[in-house]
Amino acid sequence: MTISFTVNGIPHDVPDGRGTDTLLDFLHDDLNLTGTKLCCGIGVCRACTVAVSKGPTDAPAPVISCSTPLRLLGNSHIRTVESLAEGDRLSPVQQAFLDHFSFQCGYCAPGFVMAATIFLEGLAKNPIDRADLDAAIEGALGEHICRCTGYVRYYEAVRHLALQLVGLKWGSVR
Amino acid sequence: MNDVGPQLVRSGLTRRSFLKTATGAIALTVTGLPRTAQAQSSVSGPGYAPIPGVARERIDGFDKVTGAKIYARDYNARDMDGWPGTQWYAMFLRALTTDRVFKGVDLSALPPDLQPRKVILGDQLADGQRSPNLSLGRDCLVDGQLKAAAAASDDDDHDFDRPGAVVFDLVVRPGNQPDFLGQATALLLFDNARTYRAARTHMQFDDAAYQVYGPDVGPNPDEPRLFTPETLYVRAPDDSIAQGYFSYYTAPDFDNYKQDAAKQAEGIEDYLKAHPEFISHDFRCDMRAMDPMFMEPESGLIWYERDSKTMRVLLGTQSPDGDVADIASMYAEKGSRLDVEEVVLTSCFPGGGFGGRDSSPFSLMLALCADFADGNPVKLEYDRFEQFRVGLKRHACDLNGSLVVSPDRQIEAIKMDLTFDGGGRRNLSPYVASLSALCAGGSYVIPRVNIHAKAIHSENISGGSQRGFGGPQAFFATETALDEIAAQQGWDPLDLRMSNLLTRTDSTVVGGPVKQELRLAEMLQRTAEHPLWSDRVAIKDGYAQRGQTYGTGLAMSLQAYGTSSDGMVAAILMDDEGGFTVQSDAVDMGNGSATTLGVVIGNILGANAHTVEMGGYTLFAQTGLKLKDDLSCGEKPTWSNPHWTAKSVGSSSACLTGLHQVHVVQQCALALFAETILPAARLLWGLPDLQPDQTAWDDGHLVTDGMEPLPLRVLASFARDEGFPSGAVAHAYIQARWVSAKFETRSGTHRLELDGLAFYPADGGAAQPVWRSGTIPPPANAWREARYAWAPCVNVVGLTVDRGTGVVRIENVLSVLNAGRIHVPQLVSGQSQGGVAMALGYTLFEDMPPGMAGPADGTWNLNRYHVPRYRDVPLARRYAPGGRSQELIVMPETPGDDGQGRGIAEAVMCSIAPAVSNALRDALGVRYTSLPITPEKILKGLRA
Repeated sequence: MTISFTVNGIPHDVPDGRGTDTLLDFLHDDLNLTGTKLCCGIGVCRACTVAVSKGPTDAPAPVISCSTPLRLLGNSHIRTVESLAEGDRLSPVQQAFLDHFSFQCGYCAPGFVMAATIFLEGLAKNPIDRADLDAAIEGALGEHICRCTGYVRYYEAVRHLALQLVGLKWGSVR
Repeated sequence: MNDVGPQLVRSGLTRRSFLKTATGAIALTVTGLPRTAQAQSSVSGPGYAPIPGVARERIDGFDKVTGAKIYARDYNARDMDGWPGTQWYAMFLRALTTDRVFKGVDLSALPPDLQPRKVILGDQLADGQRSPNLSLGRDCLVDGQLKAAAAASDDDDHDFDRPGAVVFDLVVRPGNQPDFLGQATALLLFDNARTYRAARTHMQFDDAAYQVYGPDVGPNPDEPRLFTPETLYVRAPDDSIAQGYFSYYTAPDFDNYKQDAAKQAEGIEDYLKAHPEFISHDFRCDMRAMDPMFMEPESGLIWYERDSKTMRVLLGTQSPDGDVADIASMYAEKGSRLDVEEVVLTSCFPGGGFGGRDSSPFSLMLALCADFADGNPVKLEYDRFEQFRVGLKRHACDLNGSLVVSPDRQIEAIKMDLTFDGGGRRNLSPYVASLSALCAGGSYVIPRVNIHAKAIHSENISGGSQRGFGGPQAFFATETALDEIAAQQGWDPLDLRMSNLLTRTDSTVVGGPVKQELRLAEMLQRTAEHPLWSDRVAIKDGYAQRGQTYGTGLAMSLQAYGTSSDGMVAAILMDDEGGFTVQSDAVDMGNGSATTLGVVIGNILGANAHTVEMGGYTLFAQTGLKLKDDLSCGEKPTWSNPHWTAKSVGSSSACLTGLHQVHVVQQCALALFAETILPAARLLWGLPDLQPDQTAWDDGHLVTDGMEPLPLRVLASFARDEGFPSGAVAHAYIQARWVSAKFETRSGTHRLELDGLAFYPADGGAAQPVWRSGTIPPPANAWREARYAWAPCVNVVGLTVDRGTGVVRIENVLSVLNAGRIHVPQLVSGQSQGGVAMALGYTLFEDMPPGMAGPADGTWNLNRYHVPRYRDVPLARRYAPGGRSQELIVMPETPGDDGQGRGIAEAVMCSIAPAVSNALRDALGVRYTSLPITPEKILKGLRA
């Protein structure tokens, strides 16, 4: 028996015996995808956040790859930070983080990128009241740890992007 | 994508420096990340900074935001060109006690399929491995005392770089008591990842099952040992001395300073006793150790390549020069089992540093592994538990003393004893204590001073050079004491500070003159006018009406940056298209040094650098300069000798960018302009007497009156055809002032604030030195000033506190900062915001008990050590009543700044903690002087 999932669109099958391996170790050891970072290893800091959806069209959810065993990921679609840029063309979230000087050492950046991407994709599909935006950003990013920049510039970048979304830009759509 | 990498591009010997050894010399080489990075420049300039002098984004931003391999942890042997694909994994067992004799390991509880390939104990190490000859020098103020003590000692072990009493075995030898908790007791080597990971998981949190100790024989050491030297600053008025006061700086008989200082201290006591009207406030502060909690736990690769006798290392470090020399020294002594002729370092971006990667013992532990891996590459990767357990900490500290103020609000005296818990390894503890003693004087004129700072060895986790370097501890004591006097006397705390400010006509507690423009009064005035301060009573009333308890606190800091003498080196290379590469010995820990150094040449050379290469510690060798020990027989280490300089380079600190690194890069740019670009323009325009100040850059073109603008690309191409230099490498040295000299070159005579200069020939050969003349050296006795550069900051904190739970919420922070010239505004405010967050962490949340009650037990992680989150810091950048903000006011540049920036890495951070304590005093009427100020402590204070 195997556990089947995709990573950035590429199918992978691993034997059941590796079900207790963490997703982070699999990304690093098997796929040499090291953009997803290990920091605390116990699911607190969120540096290792990736996007996981159960179906190709399902909404992705942030998943802590350092603490998620492969056995829980059968039939999942996993996206990592390596999937976002197309060549030299960055995703809007990545570009916004650059424009706002959001990070310094950058080690937390991939986790913030993935969480913000999931958040904004969700926001585009399910707009919220503008008055609730700050609380929603905190809900999406509030547990991520950044030790260098103090969160101000991540917040500004995500807020800026959120306000570009149709609906939010002009206020409440509900 | 921009090209930035911690690598040098010059090939061959120019990439190397050498470490002299007992058996010859070991070459030290730096190399770049093993990836292909393409510079992407456009006509208008490099993508990260198209406009000269301006950064649009971080030069390293693309790699970081896309998850590229740039950190040491990202790499395995398979990623390294020419390395074997096999990779072993290293794990260290860690001492659990200092009271018992370590007898050995017992791995019988580990299943057979999880057994390590090898187990190495301390008695299997060669002498050089057990106790390496480390590069411990940092600050000539402290180093001078250590060297004098070493020279005067009869003890063969009393060596400056290996002081026997305080540098302990890297791995405890069976039969010895561990010297500190977390000291390695055994090295386990695994030959594959799966076994390593499974064994690690099996053994985690169960250390005692695998180590054997004898019975309790009492603490080791039985009494605290000093990490020498201590620092003593005594200052008192003395008309018999030309400057009118006795001090460390002005002491007429410096050899008898300690004895004379003791007499002066008695005089201070007599004076104070004679003035019973003075207000004396006794204070006692303490603070826990703090973990830098940089995001990437330390990690590295090492491989001893037997055929070429080369030690290949991959690391992310703040101190590549010292680390690689230390690694070489482990294999340089007679008896070394490995014959090492070269150490090659691949220097990665550190995933955060904050001082925790400055001379970290991690590099030594990694270097040990190479000897026992049968020629295989080894990976050593700490997890967060181990990083908490053994990673360098900010020192726990006790500060006691008294502050004396006259009834007319003049500070009369300060007395302070500062004791830093240096933990197990000496690292930089005495240097931190020394700077803290200077910081104890704060921002004030204090005529009578008796400050004594020391660092001691203990069983605790080693202290390092963490952000602030002693400043956070000292400023906390002084600023809370001053505030308490104001509160008790009913004085306005801002007015009290305003009455005692240092200016450029004054001197520090060390006695050294203040030469920089500080503008403290102006900064306090800006603070006084800000509504967060001026409306504080009304704001407090407003909260009270809503049933909330609010307080406002103010504190200042005058953080020094740099050491008592600093050397730095940089090179600029120009390609045929007019593209520039900047190379620096500095490391970018994330603070933005690479970006800053890339753009500060823009207004001199017409374009920003398209490539910035950091960590180039072998650049110094290319200047041709030599240190004292490298001079030829008969040459003297004096400033009149053009081949000599006092210091090559130092460890990287975020605070060294704004002034120091920028200076050497810009001086190098001026030299390259004068020697290559200007001569090309003279020929092309037919203006042989054209001077630099008759030219300017305009949209990538050099312009002068009446002539057709010359594109940089044309100038570069023409310069190449004429055989003009293709680059320059420069060294600068500062001690109270920049050493300057004349350099006679083909293009004329140039006086530059440099002590070393060389040009790269157009044909690509090695750099050709231009020897200096007319050198203007540092002032006499400048080293006794201790510090010469300052980054002042005023912080105001407005907070609410829940009297029922003791929970504090930071509502607003105002920071008024004098940063001199701002090179990249976004980086400056980012440093400020990061500093505010970090300070709030160690002020309110980050709590780490000593001993086995703390992270030394191996069970600590972020679930127990709470660092600030998003919700803990105000996010708006402009103050508005009722909102939460952290507003930064940067003082506008003045002519007094002389176009220079200041190192502001920790400047804002340093006075946040006292501002919080002062705000709590305002809110609750209770003084809290024990950090962190947890809810439990607040409730206890309210009950008292």
